[in-house]
Amino acid sequence: MSRPSKPSLTDNPLDDICPVCKSNRYLNPSLQFLINPECYHKMCSTCVDRIFTSGPTCCPVPRCGKTLRKRGFHQAFFGDLKIEEECDIRKRVGDVFNRRQEDFETLRHWNDYLQDVEDLVFDLVKGSAKTKRRAEETLEEYRVKNLAVIEENKKAGQEAASLERQREKAEREAAKQRRLAMAREEEEEKMDVEKMKRSALDRLANSNEDANAIARQAQKGILKKTSARRTLTDAPTNESTTSVRDSGLSIRGLKKKVAPVVEKEYDPFGGIDLTPTRYILQDHYENDYLAGFVKGQPTAMTGGYSLHEYYGRSMLEAFSGLGVFIEDEIASRNQPAAMATIKAEARDDVF
Amino acid sequence: MNSSNVITEDDRYRSSTQFRLWSFTPASLLALRSTTNQLAADRVREAVRRARAREAQSSADASDADPESKSRATSTLPEGELDCLTVEEELKLIVFYCRQTLQLGKHLNLPTDVNATAVQYMKRFYTTNSLMTYDPATILRTALFFATKTENHYYRLSKFAEAIDKTKPEDVLASEYLLTQGLRFTFDVRHPYRALEGAVMELCAIAEGAIPNNGVAGEMPRNMDYRCKVAHGTAKEFLKTSALLTDVYFHFSPSQIMLASLLIADEELIRWYIAFKLGGLQNAMAQKVLGTLADCAQMLRTVEPQMQSPAEESKEARTLAKKLRKCRNPEKIDLVALQQTKRGGDNANDEKILKKRKLEREKVAQEAGDLFGPGLKKP
Repeated sequence: MSRPSKPSLTDNPLDDICPVCKSNRYLNPSLQFLINPECYHKMCSTCVDRIFTSGPTCCPVPRCGKTLRKRGFHQAFFGDLKIEEECDIRKRVGDVFNRRQEDFETLRHWNDYLQDVEDLVFDLVKGSAKTKRRAEETLEEYRVKNLAVIEENKKAGQEAASLERQREKAEREAAKQRRLAMAREEEEEKMDVEKMKRSALDRLANSNEDANAIARQAQKGILKKTSARRTLTDAPTNESTTSVRDSGLSIRGLKKKVAPVVEKEYDPFGGIDLTPTRYILQDHYENDYLAGFVKGQPTAMTGGYSLHEYYGRSMLEAFSGLGVFIEDEIASRNQPAAMATIKAEARDDVF
Repeated sequence: MNSSNVITEDDRYRSSTQFRLWSFTPASLLALRSTTNQLAADRVREAVRRARAREAQSSADASDADPESKSRATSTLPEGELDCLTVEEELKLIVFYCRQTLQLGKHLNLPTDVNATAVQYMKRFYTTNSLMTYDPATILRTALFFATKTENHYYRLSKFAEAIDKTKPEDVLASEYLLTQGLRFTFDVRHPYRALEGAVMELCAIAEGAIPNNGVAGEMPRNMDYRCKVAHGTAKEFLKTSALLTDVYFHFSPSQIMLASLLIADEELIRWYIAFKLGGLQNAMAQKVLGTLADCAQMLRTVEPQMQSPAEESKEARTLAKKLRKCRNPEKIDLVALQQTKRGGDNANDEKILKKRKLEREKVAQEAGDLFGPGLKKP
């Protein structure tokens, strides 16, 4: 169903008559019909010029009464204007309800959503004036409520489309390059074989060697050349396929990026809290031992020596195990360690 | 990930191998040492009996054709009934050899923590092995060499062996795996030295007012700044010697050892500090900690904080060393030779296997080379 490039007579004579001025395509082959998506009433381009050039006016079709502008007129894509209207409505609704399946948790939810949208479209297309109005209101309400989401999805869709376009373009380009390269190779191969044949003929004519030997040698040389060329040509084709595959991968990655999962900050200790309980680490301590050779000495500090690290470590060691009473704790753990050691002595035989 | 995942300082110490594998109650440590001593003595008697039987056999074989070998054999084997070391004697000797380790470390200009680690290796090794089985003079060199590695103080093996009298690199390496096994493959030793620095830093900060007095322990001790520095010096001496030569590493955590040595240096100051940290002296925790510190301090006081052993102690140690020489396990004296025979045995075995495989391969190749393939095997 492609747009007719040239208006021509149709089977139905009614389709060839302008409902406003009644001029006929039979008499005027260049007659062109235009519609306005406000009311989808068909009229010829002459009528449009005549009626709307001086500004917005009512539709000349009786009992329509919609105010139309000249700018809104365009040629209908479909012969059946009902279909034209439905397509336009679908486009309008689709622009607003532009969620994708990835946005839904289950298939069921997605299908429900599609069903809702379809019902709305049906109301808009086939409904009575009242249902139509209600559907319009619903649409507008949804649009206002979800402005940001709609915008985001729209952008994502555009991005995906543009990426797809790019990929296709790159693929076409690559295919073209491949074809060209192949043609060039073939050409070169032919020339090479030709050259070798000529040189063999020259040798046959000018030298006193055995003719059979020369012929055999030439044959071998030609075979070698062609096989070498084949292996050479194999390599770049591989490369090109991988590059195409690469671009496909990158698209997959980008698609994921559209709905990014916010990653938690990496915690090397897996959520373990190591805040000291017995002391509060100060930023600075007096220490004669450190003052002697570390503080303010570039030779000690440039390697990344951190005084704070040292403070933290020595303070931790000062209080780590202060409350560990070995006499109690070891006695209560039933001395498996001691038993193990005794066994170690019993089986001790390194040599 | 919430507050239930708090890991306190104590829990972090509990995760160390020093706590998990190398902490004992005095009773369990004594029991372990007695078992070790008993087993070793039995083995020495058995080994000497075997050696004597072998000797009698060989001397009967060679009659008196080779008097030289006979005299050599008799010189290595002790005569008469064996008099093995008791647990107490072994302990005294271990202290003596630990002092030797410290002196060797000083001779090699090694830092304190290397020496300390080496001494702890000695002590750990001889809880499950007896002096009668393995010669401490050999083990201590290996322990010291290991300590340079674990404490990240690089010392090249050849230089190390050269710096010690009558020592070759093989002597140091011979007992390498033995010592590793004796240490139960744990090389980490938690020392109280950095802890001492931390505690003294905090005490100084309190004295200067950088950390405010919370008032739980009452007035600050007078002249605190000066007393901190003096206590620091005294405590360091105790940690360098007494703490290493006694069994405190087996019975207390480094933090407790450090505070106990400070307690010996300045009791009033440290009692105040404990009260300051743990919320008053009446606190049950503070009482418990003070009790433990007192036990630890008592243990530390049993050894004078000097590098050199007192005269009578070294005299006693020398007589004990003489006694040890008579009750050594004759099968484990030459560790280098033992290791070599072990390795040599392995190599010989390998060679045999390799040769066999080669022959088989050649045979197969030869048969495959026949015109009509290898002959059919008869069932």
